[in-house]
Amino acid sequence: MLNRRNVLFLAFGIGFGFLLSRAGATSPAIISDLLLFEDLRLLWVIVTAVCLGAALTWIAWRLQWRARNTGQPITIQHKPFKRGLVTGAVLFGLGWAGTGVCPGTALAMIGEGKGFALWVGAGIVLGAGAGSWVSQRLERG
Amino acid sequence: MDLLYTVTDAFFAPLWLPVLVGALIALLAFAQRWMVDQPLSCSTGFANLATCLRPGGRRDRGGDWRIVFLLGIVLGGLLAALTDATPAWQGTAAEFGRFYTALVPDSTVGSALWWLFGGVLIGLGSRLAGGCTSGHTIAGVAMGAPASIVASAVFFAVAVGTAQLAAWALGV
Repeated sequence: MLNRRNVLFLAFGIGFGFLLSRAGATSPAIISDLLLFEDLRLLWVIVTAVCLGAALTWIAWRLQWRARNTGQPITIQHKPFKRGLVTGAVLFGLGWAGTGVCPGTALAMIGEGKGFALWVGAGIVLGAGAGSWVSQRLERG
Repeated sequence: MDLLYTVTDAFFAPLWLPVLVGALIALLAFAQRWMVDQPLSCSTGFANLATCLRPGGRRDRGGDWRIVFLLGIVLGGLLAALTDATPAWQGTAAEFGRFYTALVPDSTVGSALWWLFGGVLIGLGSRLAGGCTSGHTIAGVAMGAPASIVASAVFFAVAVGTAQLAAWALGV
């Protein structure tokens, strides 16, 4: 379990959790500011992350940058159109608006000591377990 | 020395400049892609965690890194809370804001059930959609994946619509 690869992932997780917190994404009040268009700071966080991410991905693709672990050009992974995609996205939107939490921020909130996020986190584990089961049945048709 | 103070103060500020945080998130996600060739991803890790916790569930060892990553996020939140120069979080109305203070039930049991049920919707929805705001919106849209663009558009449209409607109904 403890190898160089997992230590790297732990470090990336720590960085991501820390940045989610500094972004304000771990505060339901700031999430509601975004959804009610009262303060768009999170929108700028997301827009910057997506635009710079897209630019970096494009450059890496053009120049055929190689991943350090595999030595192969980095993978540009396109997630598939799953059969339940739109239904799932609607349910996700409802849960996100209802709680002001998403899967990544739930974890960062737990780390920050926000007790209510433990309930949300437990719900996400239950929902994700159920979702995998439903998803497998849908994919099989 | 002044510069040092400015930088330290900026580091301990609980909120950083949005463009700076966004850029750092993009660099972090790209570094992960470059060093270990895996995307930024949260909700799939939750599904793997659910499989691990289920009695008799057969865990996918190739996905263990996802759970390690989730653990890292918790530690990152802790690190942020320890270095934000504000007192420990106490569940104040300010943190929930007008909207969630009005929306979430007041009673202990009612609010716990609300959070739990909200979590179930998030978990179920992200599995059916194949990703969440990390995997689809930040990583997927940046890679130009059509499925991620559709999923993200629906996430935002439904969340904004629901919140606006609820705020109007609650009169907040």
